[in-house]
Amino acid sequence: MTYPTYLLDRTGAKDSHTLEAYEKAGGYATLRRVLREGWSPEQVLQRVKDSGLRGRGGAGFPTGLKWSFMPDPAKDPRERYLAVNADESEPGTCKDRVLMQDDPHGLVEGILLACFAMRVRTAYVYVRGEFRLAYDRVAAAIEEARAAGIVGAKVCGAAFACEIWMHKGAGAYICGEETGLMESLEGKRGHPRPKPPFPAGSGLWGQPTTVNNVETLFNVPFIVERGPDWFKSMGTAKSPGNVLIGISGHVERPGVYELPLGIPAREVLERYAGGVWKGRALQAWFPGGSSTGLLPASTIDLAMDHDSLREAGSMLGTGAIVVLDETACVVEAMRCIARFYEHESCGQCSQCREGTQWLHQIFERIELGAGRMEDIELLSSLASGMAPGKTICALADAAAIPTHSVVRHFRRELEEHVRLGGCPAKHAARKRTAEPAGSMA
Amino acid sequence: MPGEARGQETNGGARREHGVTKIVLDGREVEVDPKQPLIRACHEQDVDVPMYCYHPGLTPVGSCRICQVEVKQGELPPRVVVACRTPVAEGMIVNTESPKAHAARRECLEFLLKNHPLDCPICDKAGECDLQDFAFAEQQGEGRSVEPRRKLEKRKSLGDVIVLDEERCILCSRCVRFFEDVTHKPQLTVAGLGSHSIITTFLDRPLEGNYQGNLADICPVGALTLQNFRFQARVWNLSKQFSTCGECSRGCSITVEVLRNREVKRLRPRYNPEVNKWWMCDTGRFSFEPLEQEERLEGARIHGGGRAQPAELEVALDEAADCLRVHRKPVVVVSPWLTVEEGAAAKALCEALETDAVFVSPDPNELKDDLLHTGDPCPNRRGLSELGFSPVAADDACTAISEAESALLVGERVCDLLGRERLASLPDEVRLVVLDTRPLEAPAVTVSVGIPNAFEREGTWVNLDGHRGRISVARPAPAGVAPLTRTLERLRERLVAEGARS
Amino acid sequence: MTTQAVTVLTAALVEELEELVTHYPERRAALIPALHRCQEELGGWLSPEILEACAEFFGLEPVEAFGVASFYPMFHLRPVGQHVVAVCHNISCMLRGAEELLERACAVTGCAQPGATSPDGKFTVLRVECQGTCVNAPMLDLDGTFHENLTPEALERLLRSTGGAA
Repeated sequence: MTYPTYLLDRTGAKDSHTLEAYEKAGGYATLRRVLREGWSPEQVLQRVKDSGLRGRGGAGFPTGLKWSFMPDPAKDPRERYLAVNADESEPGTCKDRVLMQDDPHGLVEGILLACFAMRVRTAYVYVRGEFRLAYDRVAAAIEEARAAGIVGAKVCGAAFACEIWMHKGAGAYICGEETGLMESLEGKRGHPRPKPPFPAGSGLWGQPTTVNNVETLFNVPFIVERGPDWFKSMGTAKSPGNVLIGISGHVERPGVYELPLGIPAREVLERYAGGVWKGRALQAWFPGGSSTGLLPASTIDLAMDHDSLREAGSMLGTGAIVVLDETACVVEAMRCIARFYEHESCGQCSQCREGTQWLHQIFERIELGAGRMEDIELLSSLASGMAPGKTICALADAAAIPTHSVVRHFRRELEEHVRLGGCPAKHAARKRTAEPAGSMA
Repeated sequence: MPGEARGQETNGGARREHGVTKIVLDGREVEVDPKQPLIRACHEQDVDVPMYCYHPGLTPVGSCRICQVEVKQGELPPRVVVACRTPVAEGMIVNTESPKAHAARRECLEFLLKNHPLDCPICDKAGECDLQDFAFAEQQGEGRSVEPRRKLEKRKSLGDVIVLDEERCILCSRCVRFFEDVTHKPQLTVAGLGSHSIITTFLDRPLEGNYQGNLADICPVGALTLQNFRFQARVWNLSKQFSTCGECSRGCSITVEVLRNREVKRLRPRYNPEVNKWWMCDTGRFSFEPLEQEERLEGARIHGGGRAQPAELEVALDEAADCLRVHRKPVVVVSPWLTVEEGAAAKALCEALETDAVFVSPDPNELKDDLLHTGDPCPNRRGLSELGFSPVAADDACTAISEAESALLVGERVCDLLGRERLASLPDEVRLVVLDTRPLEAPAVTVSVGIPNAFEREGTWVNLDGHRGRISVARPAPAGVAPLTRTLERLRERLVAEGARS
Repeated sequence: MTTQAVTVLTAALVEELEELVTHYPERRAALIPALHRCQEELGGWLSPEILEACAEFFGLEPVEAFGVASFYPMFHLRPVGQHVVAVCHNISCMLRGAEELLERACAVTGCAQPGATSPDGKFTVLRVECQGTCVNAPMLDLDGTFHENLTPEALERLLRSTGGAA
């Protein structure tokens, strides 16, 4: 069965990132129609709301609902903003990059329609600092669009002004958190803000702001053009539409694939990614980026949608599957991501600042052979002390969820490390390399 | 309704002010200020919720997470929130001791103690440390961490006033916010991020400005401490007395802290919403240091033949009265350190002597700033002016003294303000009676009587805005030193009794 | 604009930054993009002089500019080699050989360990977190250009052909 696609349809064409290619493929027709036919912003917003589109940045919050939090300009006439979250830094995730590099005008049109719907006239695209090509492509697309009268004082000649500015991050994962992003955009340390107040009430420079992920906005022109019913015909009832699923790690064909929400992970792994590499067996997998935690191989039939994964004690996150084969060490994987969370904690909240370091230290000790049996309970206890809902932002949760997950699903591996006084996988690997050729697996 | 314009409404007989919100706090219905966060309401109701990053004088950031309490609003299930970032709402039910909230605070405490060094035995903050207090209250003596604690600089000088111990720092950022919010000139920042964060200046430059000492007050732990208080005393051995700073006409409310009933070891600001809020300047804070070092005039002395003989106070006062009486129109100059009570006694004395009531008026100095220091380096200009004293410049006063035949100099620092060299070079004919804290080396001195300084007496100063600040006895005056009011009164009695002037 | 900013920042850079600040309602918002440009144009790292100049340009105290710069891993507050070799060591790359890449990078450049600069000053090898190229792991960033699907051999060829590595 082939699934209908739309997100990546244009990216196969030569020079797909150019205005010429975009318009040839029908791009900006939706924006032009909305303006020409005199749609109201509320109509555009309602369409997105009715579609059931959920944010593609990791949290899965309903996009139309988020847009509706922006205040009525009659009641709050202050300048308002859209911040495009192109900070893509969740380990395992590299799908916004594809859209920005290969179809930046699709993002631009999505931004313009979103701004129209929320009566915003200034948007900032916050791109992670390391994404040079993606930044350049989006910047070039905006310039092309500006030259063509699509971005600027009179979008497509209509009485709608919208300016889009590029902005660079500088390597901090926490600036992908919406309030951390805003602090960073204001030229400060990327410290997330306590909520309330929420961005729609007090965002950039204290003014109404909506922060949306790249892929989320990319969906908007399609939804506006083809309608909510079309969108809901794909995916699941509660997670409609297609999503860009990245799959990486120990697979034959790592890649970013456009697939309907709700597709079983097994299908992604076996049909699209060629299965676990080197003929090996699956040991563990992250469903949606490192923050979603490691799940055992037995769960590979789970559906890739928000609710199925939440019920299984995980989450869809960014839909970035990372696969570990049988020779991998889950404890080493945890050490790797615990190191990441320690590195990325902004340091404001006591539990996160100290807890991310503590978790890393424990995983490191266990991996290196200095673990204790009581460390396993301690991991769970610390993770419970960090989250949920105890800190300003969810980075603490992002460190805690995988910790709970590994203790729940891979206790045996943790205990083995303690008993062995080291890593059984490394031990086995050393044994393999020591054996004569021909007897290796 | 008519009452609403004035902010009051009647409600079935019970009057309720606008500007008051009713909440239930640990089972009690209380009225709280709706403009303040929940943590203030708790503290004002004597509910002890710990706090590190929160300080009522600084922007709340909600980062330390220690002030977690449980709150129930409307139909929503109860949730654990940080009290410092939670506005109070009518009908809110707050439970600071709910098992969830209590557990959340204890978890937070364990995280804070993971890297915090076990320095209490050598830390100046012991005994007044918010972290120590909470750990003790929670009986949380042992954490579960076996990881090595982070190793950072423990004695980093941030200039002349403050020393930083990076290991003790719990990154509450109060110090950073102090410079942003109060002095409006950032000097500290959190550098790095996460578990590698430290507090630092730019390029290790020393701190500047006249408000550095406040950092040691606001730091909830012993990370920022005063250089000059380092290892000086255990705070539980300090007796504390309320007082007022005398270094300028702001009259900041302070606490004087004394060791062994003898040495002043520390001055700290006392919260006064009308005058200085939570702060004091370094000029005032460290003003006790030279005062503790100076040689004091103990008891009374009669001077003659180039020598000063100790004398009984009564005898010295007889001599002083003679000296003032014999000569026409003695000049009386008082110090602007005189309290209102002392000023009244001095005024009565001036009347008895039929001479003008004046105080030596110091020039304004360059310490005036936008925060506290007024630039007028004396505490009671206004109080004395209100009593009818006139200010006189030091030069003019000395001229008048040198032209008079006798003069009475009254009050703490009066000789300093007039100029010790100038007084020492007065013409031989002039006879000085000096009532001061320090002895004056000058041929003109006939009688000198020691008086208590600002830490040794009680009284009232009036600041430049009219606020009355009390000083009180923080430690006894040196032996043989009587209160100045009494000395002045006894001098006046002698002068009146003689009925010397028509 | 007083002397510090104009002396340390080139005239072209100041002009560029003056244009950049017009994109925002508050000048300070351009700070992080400005720090990027300074690091790119003025020697590959943000010296104290550059931080002071930026602070002055944005009307900040130097300590504020420093505090911001120190938060972000992409900003180097100490000198780096002529070429910066940033190897991702996060999960997808770790699973596909990042540690071998790091070892080889250090061996080829002469850096004692990741984080160090080679004795000849040509290279700094760094461990970095997820760079967003996970489906092409493992990878490195060399002076702002990604090299993906890397093997130790390809890495060696790349570094040896960079700036005349020995």
